[in-house]
This record gives sequence, structure tokens and C-alpha cells, in this order.
Amino acid sequence: MEDKVRHIVCPYCGCLCDDILVELTDGKISGVENACTLGAHKFLDDADNRLKGPIMRKGDEWIDISYEEAIAFAVQTLSEADRPLLYGWSGCVTETQAIGAHLAELIGGVVDSTTSVCHGPSILAIQEVGHPGCTLGQVKNRADTIVYWGSNPIEAHPRHLSRYTNYADAYFLHNAFRERKVIVFDVRKTATAEIATEFVQLEQGGDYHVLSALRAIVRGREDVVPDMIAGVPKSQLIGVAELCKKAKFGALFFGVGVTMTGGKYKNIRNAIEFVDELNRHTKWTISPMRGHSNVYGSNEVFTWITGYPYAVDYARGIAFYNPGETTAVDILARKEADAALIMASDPGAHFPRACCEHLAKIPTILFDPYPSATTHLCTVQIPCAVNGIDAAGTAYRMDGIPIRTRKFLETGYPTDTSLMNEIYEQIRERKEHA
Amino acid sequence: MASVEWIKTFFFAKTAPLITPSHFRGFPHLTGKECTHCFQCMMICPAPGAIEVIRTEKPGEWKPVIHLGHCIRCGLCVEICPELVLDSGRVHTKNAQDGTYMQFQFHITVNPVTCMGCGICSVACPVNKEIDPQLAAKGTSTSDEVIMRVYKGINTVFHEEKCTGCKTCEEQCPNRSVMVARVLEPLQITEEP
Repeated sequence: MEDKVRHIVCPYCGCLCDDILVELTDGKISGVENACTLGAHKFLDDADNRLKGPIMRKGDEWIDISYEEAIAFAVQTLSEADRPLLYGWSGCVTETQAIGAHLAELIGGVVDSTTSVCHGPSILAIQEVGHPGCTLGQVKNRADTIVYWGSNPIEAHPRHLSRYTNYADAYFLHNAFRERKVIVFDVRKTATAEIATEFVQLEQGGDYHVLSALRAIVRGREDVVPDMIAGVPKSQLIGVAELCKKAKFGALFFGVGVTMTGGKYKNIRNAIEFVDELNRHTKWTISPMRGHSNVYGSNEVFTWITGYPYAVDYARGIAFYNPGETTAVDILARKEADAALIMASDPGAHFPRACCEHLAKIPTILFDPYPSATTHLCTVQIPCAVNGIDAAGTAYRMDGIPIRTRKFLETGYPTDTSLMNEIYEQIRERKEHA
Repeated sequence: MASVEWIKTFFFAKTAPLITPSHFRGFPHLTGKECTHCFQCMMICPAPGAIEVIRTEKPGEWKPVIHLGHCIRCGLCVEICPELVLDSGRVHTKNAQDGTYMQFQFHITVNPVTCMGCGICSVACPVNKEIDPQLAAKGTSTSDEVIMRVYKGINTVFHEEKCTGCKTCEEQCPNRSVMVARVLEPLQITEEP
């Protein structure tokens, strides 16, 4: 029996496309419309890759355990740990993230999201100088000049250009994609650079210099700018500054190419101040290209519950925030954590080797529907329903718009929200009786 | 004495007279028939920049302009024009004699390995924009009538026959996954048995 379900939300990247059509044949996903390669395969390859049930490491082997046993292990490990780390949270719904933040307070642990290894520096910069941002809808309907800096949406957020920035028709532009200009700043000629009106190739680590030069030019002080800045000729930057000033509405998008290079949050601060400078001439906005589907949500949830967007340490009983000290990588590198709960993320694939080695030594509980690189480091893996496939909840798009994801399959897997709720309740009861 | 003889043979050599043969195919010229600006001549032309269909100063009047430096005199534009706007050599006479005519269509190839399913080609396509305004407005395809759209994560061609060969998709594809080729078919009218 064939069935088509419309308006599905893709749970892959921060674009959170909410126009996906899924074809079901005999209750199985057989086709996906509108989603890009990354999103489509999240749906199409889902059933083949799911872990059947919770597993626990016994010596060199994995043994199957029940959900009750897995929860009991998590409850015991987390309540007995001195410095538990609760990390991840970017692929799950905000409801689960909220329980995570409360759990950190209950057990005096550290709650950190994948923000600390992607756009953490962007948040630090925003805390310093603010965020002149806007929604992607504004960009789609108004922007005539778009800048991608240190990001390659064609490969990381494939539909960003066709849906929100360059190609889709605009309410306030006559012939959108012929009128729009795309400027790409990158250290190498990426796929996005192939379709750019202007491509600026800068040297690795030269973002701060180029941004400062652009700020000087926009301010009318091009006399202080040297002939070459980080491999970019001054004449090209003058041209780019002119393009930016001529825009009626400009949008700058930046990726981890700027946040995770030398200078870190100071690069973003400079980028925001460049946008500030441009706003003296015309209208410009700046937005981060957030990676995971709900990484923005983790910052929102942690901020409204703890007061801080990520890397929140409850060891003192109150929320303490000091990125560089309370971030997951630093805690693991110092071998501080004595237990870890990894929710919906894959540090095994992204963390430095020393951190992965420490994760493998301590009891690590992984919540992930599929086997991942972190499976090889963890003690227990608990598969749960996938947000947007067999679980529903709220997720935040990269521009801060909350979108309700839809459940369209019944698989019998428990949701991460119900599992976390169970763990939280059991630890709370344990604490009350102690 | 010998050099005078040589000059005579060189300059007054008896060769066949330089006459343009009747079958010679020169640059296409206008026949005066009305151009309907269907752009088929521009689409079929294999030499870049050799032919342009432009609006003249007279209201509603269009005509093809041949750029002689670029034209390779292949005669394809003459042969494809449904309104016989252009002529060169014996193209029309031969076609009428033999009952031959030309037909072309466009073939779209998508490389499934490199295609990211970003949807840029299908959103930018001017024919798609006409067929499915929803696709043009927000990248969401709602129609099966479009030339192509993203299906199972890869740009998939549904109605190749609607392609007008503008190559917007090919030009806009960031990783060169879409290719538009012109497929030309010479045909002959067969008499009914």
C-alpha cells in the first residue's frame, strides 16, 4: 500500500526544511521528495541502520540488554558520578534538551552541546557585540547581495541557496536570481564559489585581516589598507566593499571556516562589526550557518533554563559558564569527567584523540538510534526514536525559528524525551530517599 | 629571359574561372519572411555567438542577426527555422526535393555521484518556474509536470521533452552535475503506403 505524507520536517541540518514529502510503501519509507541528498538519505537509509535494542559492553563483546536495564545503568552511573558530563543535544528535540539541563542541575554535572565545537565562538562574539540578524524568510524576500564566509552550503546545507537565499523568487525583487549577487570568501574554491558572482580566496587564518581591511574601506579609510591582505589584492576588496554598499539588503552567512580558525570569536566579532559598519550605508544582516538540526535549540533551551547557552557547569550547585574550561573537549582533555551521557551526537567522530580515549575509559552512555563512531567508545548504547521520523517535538532552525517536527511512522522505539524523563525521575527519587 | 617567362606563367596561368558554384552554401541571409522569435536557430547553432534573434526598432518585429566572424556556414539555422526566415545555398530546395527535415530535442544528464540535491537547477529553470510557481517561490515542488526536480536526494528528470535548451541549470550547477546536450535528428517524410 502506497501512501504520501506531506509537510514533513527534515531533521538533518540547520535548514530544517519543512516541505518534505515522504512516500511510504507498506509502512516503510520508499521515496522522498524535495529533500537534498543529505536529508533524503536520513529518511531512506533509516530503517536499515537502526540498532535493534540497547546494548552493553561486556569485555570484548556486546550483549543485548533491556531498556529497563539500560536506564538502571544510566541512573546508577550518573547519580554516583562526581563530575558527570552531559554532552550532545543537537539532534534531539528541545523537550529532551530541557530535561538534560535540569538533570545537570540535579546531579551537579556539566551540560554542553555540540555548539562548543562549532559556533561556540559565534555566541561569544554575539555576547560581546550583539547579533544584527534576521530570519531566512527576510533574506529570501529582500536580500539582493548574499555573502558566504567560510561556509560551503552546497555541501553542508545544500538547499540553503535554492530555498532561502539566491534562487527562490523574492517578494521585493523583480527577477530574483538574475538580480542577486553572491560573494564567497573562502580559503579554497568550493562548490559554492563556482556559482558566486565574486569569489575572494584568502589565506588560511586571514579572516580577521580581511574583515578589518573591509571595515576600513567601508569607513572611507582605504589609504591605511596595504596592497595585499592575507593573499587578497586591495583592489578586489575595494570592489567587494562597493558591491556591499550598493546592496539594498545584504545578508552575510558565516560557517565554521571562520569560527574554528585562529582568532576564533574575534573573527566573528569583526564580522559583526563589519556588518555594523555597512549598516551606516544600507541594510545588512549577519547569521551563522548552524549545522545540526536543533543545535540552535540547545542554546535557546539552556539559556532560558540555566542563563547560559552551552558549557554550563553545575558542580558548585549554581550555573557556572566558562567556555575553555567548562566545555566538553576541555573537561575530557583534563580527564575530569568520570561518567558521560552522550545524547544524539557523535563525539567519537569529531573530538580530539585524547578526549575520545578518556570517553572510552569512563562509563559512557550513548543515546543514538544508529551505530556511530561513538559506539566504539561507549559502555551502553540506547537506541531511541528519531526526531522527525518516529518522534515529534520542537526544533529551532538556524535563524532561531522554532519548527514542530512531525512523527509519521510507528516503530515502537521509545522517544529520547521519555527515556530521559525516566532517568531524571529515578535519579530524583534516589536523591530524595538518600 | 627565364624570369619573364616565369612571371607570365605565374600571373597568366590558364585555370578554371573562379565562379561560385550553385550548390555553394554562403552565410545565411534573410528571406523577408516574418520571424516568430522561437529562438530555434539560436538553440541549434553550434558556433558560439554566431546568431542572435533581436527585437528590431519596429514594434513587435524580431529578426535573426548573423555575426559573420563567428558563423561557420553549417546551415543548421536555415534548416531548422520553421518559418523559412533564413536561406543559404540549396538548403531549402534540397529539403523540398528529398522531403527531409530536422528535429531536435535536449537531453539532460545528471551525475548521481556528484549531485547534492541542492535543487538549484530545478528552481532556476525558467520552464519549471512557469509550470510550478511553488517551486520557483520556495523550492518546494508540488507538480509532476516539471522538467526536473529533486527526488530521493538527486535531481531527477521527469519531462525532458519540455526542455528549451537554455542551459540555465548547467550554468548554475555548483558541481557540474547537470549537462544539457542537443540531440539532432534528421528525418525524411515517408509516403503513405
